[in-house]
Amino acid sequence: MTRQHVLVVDDEPQILRALQTNLRGAGYDVTTATTGGEALTQAAVRPPDALILDLILPDRSGTDVCRELRTWTSVPILVLSAVGDEREKVAALDAGADDYVTKPFGMEELLARLRAAMRRAAPSTEPVIRIGELVIDLERHAVTVNGSDVPLTPIEFALLRYFAQNEGKLLTHPMILREVWGPAYGDESHYLHVYVSQLRRKIEPDPARPKYILTETGAGYRLVDPVGARS
Amino acid sequence: MRLRRHVAALFVSAALVAVVTGAVFALRGSAPVLSLGVLYLFAVLPAAVFFGTPYAVLVAVSSMLAFNFFFLEPVHTFALRDSENWVALAVYVATAVVVGELAAWARRRATEARRREREAEFLAEVSATLLEADQVRDRLKQIATRTAEVLGLRRGRIELESFRRPERAEAAIDLRAGRRDVGRFFYDAGEAPDAAMVERIVPPLASVLAVALDRERLARTALEAETLRRSDAIKTAVLRSVSHDLRSPLTAIRAAADGLERADLDLDAEDRAELVDAIRAEAARLERVVTNLIDLSRLEAGAVSPRPEVWSADELVARSLEPLAAAAERVVVVLPADLPVARVDAAQIERALVNLIENALKFSSSKDEVTVTVERDDGSLFIRVRDRGPGVAPTQLGRIFEPFERGAAGSTGLGLAIALGFAQANGGRIDVASRPGEGATFSLVLPLADVPAQMRA
Repeated sequence: MTRQHVLVVDDEPQILRALQTNLRGAGYDVTTATTGGEALTQAAVRPPDALILDLILPDRSGTDVCRELRTWTSVPILVLSAVGDEREKVAALDAGADDYVTKPFGMEELLARLRAAMRRAAPSTEPVIRIGELVIDLERHAVTVNGSDVPLTPIEFALLRYFAQNEGKLLTHPMILREVWGPAYGDESHYLHVYVSQLRRKIEPDPARPKYILTETGAGYRLVDPVGARS
Repeated sequence: MRLRRHVAALFVSAALVAVVTGAVFALRGSAPVLSLGVLYLFAVLPAAVFFGTPYAVLVAVSSMLAFNFFFLEPVHTFALRDSENWVALAVYVATAVVVGELAAWARRRATEARRREREAEFLAEVSATLLEADQVRDRLKQIATRTAEVLGLRRGRIELESFRRPERAEAAIDLRAGRRDVGRFFYDAGEAPDAAMVERIVPPLASVLAVALDRERLARTALEAETLRRSDAIKTAVLRSVSHDLRSPLTAIRAAADGLERADLDLDAEDRAELVDAIRAEAARLERVVTNLIDLSRLEAGAVSPRPEVWSADELVARSLEPLAAAAERVVVVLPADLPVARVDAAQIERALVNLIENALKFSSSKDEVTVTVERDDGSLFIRVRDRGPGVAPTQLGRIFEPFERGAAGSTGLGLAIALGFAQANGGRIDVASRPGEGATFSLVLPLADVPAQMRA
């Protein structure tokens, strides 16, 4: 099997160098670009399997690059954001980025996100999903944690099903609202966070330290396998 | 209005004369008729007191005529037989004039006193209004309305330090305190304020406004000076703390990286892992310091606009434990049975709570628990962070929220200032309860939000 190709876009040579070394070490084929224009050209000439894109580039914003790429490709895009540009990060997600990591990030985290973003084929269609101690039977609408049944309301079940079918992936608020409440989601969507908290109280062993459903500040939620998902 | 008053006065005067005439008629058997003439004073006096001298004279003359007509010989004529009757008439008229004047004078005095009282009240009210206001301009409308009321005008407007000419439908009075022009009072052109009143209340009003304006200007200057002094102090403190809090982790990182690189050092795998861990831990520390510096500069610049959403207390607590990672292992969380929610910016509340918890961890022994308790009470959500450290001395309580106020442990004193800044930006506050030697409890207090009933599953 050929090595997967990742295009890394950042204008800071040190970060570029560190990413290149680490990604090569993890078995990826890496090319780099230092401007948005260069990134667009390279992506057209040799389409990558994934893109790691800094939000702040000398010639244009990473968000603009995202928007432009999305007009012709659905390549997975992972953006790099810095503390303090929450708004820019959300804008990039709206523009079509799949996920983000916040600088400074750990390599483990970046690689996990990259893998999840690339595993973006159709969501899982298994009738029974097992994640850690969590077993979700999609046909019987039944959930067990550690072998004991957990009664869920229909909304809670719909949430958990969507999270579980997209394990490891960032699900943004608009994505969750569309999926769970439908395209014309109404007032109850204001309470998305509260529904998630109620779900956590039912499935998490310690709701103050959630292991399964993680909050991604300002962006959305992510369901992970607690064993070895994040450092 | 005025005509009605005269008609009423005439009626009452006629009635007074008629009543007294009736009384004289009734009593004429029991006393000499001539002596009963004095009873007409009961008609003259009220007329003098209530309607003034002209009515008093009118009542006196008509009384005399009635007395003459009905009771003095020759009866039923206006002819007077005795000269002493002329004397009686003169006495009545003189009495009427004197009493009328006396009454009018007393009435004028009372009116005058009432007016002075109103003026004094007005000025006192204006002064009080201005004293309690932060901004003179905030209260101008209220003062202008009161001024118009006192001057008998329908409405008025005060413009401070503006000397525009009155427009067509307007008239203006200058507000002058000594030689200083304070502003203008505008009113509707058709109306006429009481000139004497204007003369009496406008100068003191202008003076009071001038004093208030000066006071405001002084306060502003003082505030600017204080802000400058504070931001200077903050800059100095930032520089001092940067040298310590940024340099020490950098030093540790360099030392560890150098150690890993050197071939002549005899390092086994465990040593190497330890150095790598040190680099990671120090980088994390550096990251927290930098985040705090960024937060503080945003708070100081007023660049913190919360984007509130409805969040559960569970989530707010969970998010604040996450960035602390292993350090948060000795934090014990006590959640209530229900799920209280607040409408806040979760990222900002996270920064507030992280700092409160980090502070509690820092100031207590690594063997002691730090307890985070969520409670609801009286429309508020309380997230209490309790440590068993040395506590806060009462003299320190007022100052611990100042940036760069250091506790005994000597780390950057930014945390509590940031926590308070974000709490306040989200409509909350932080309460501190502490007894030296028994630890401290910092409570983040946020307004509770409502959740629709159908959600409380």
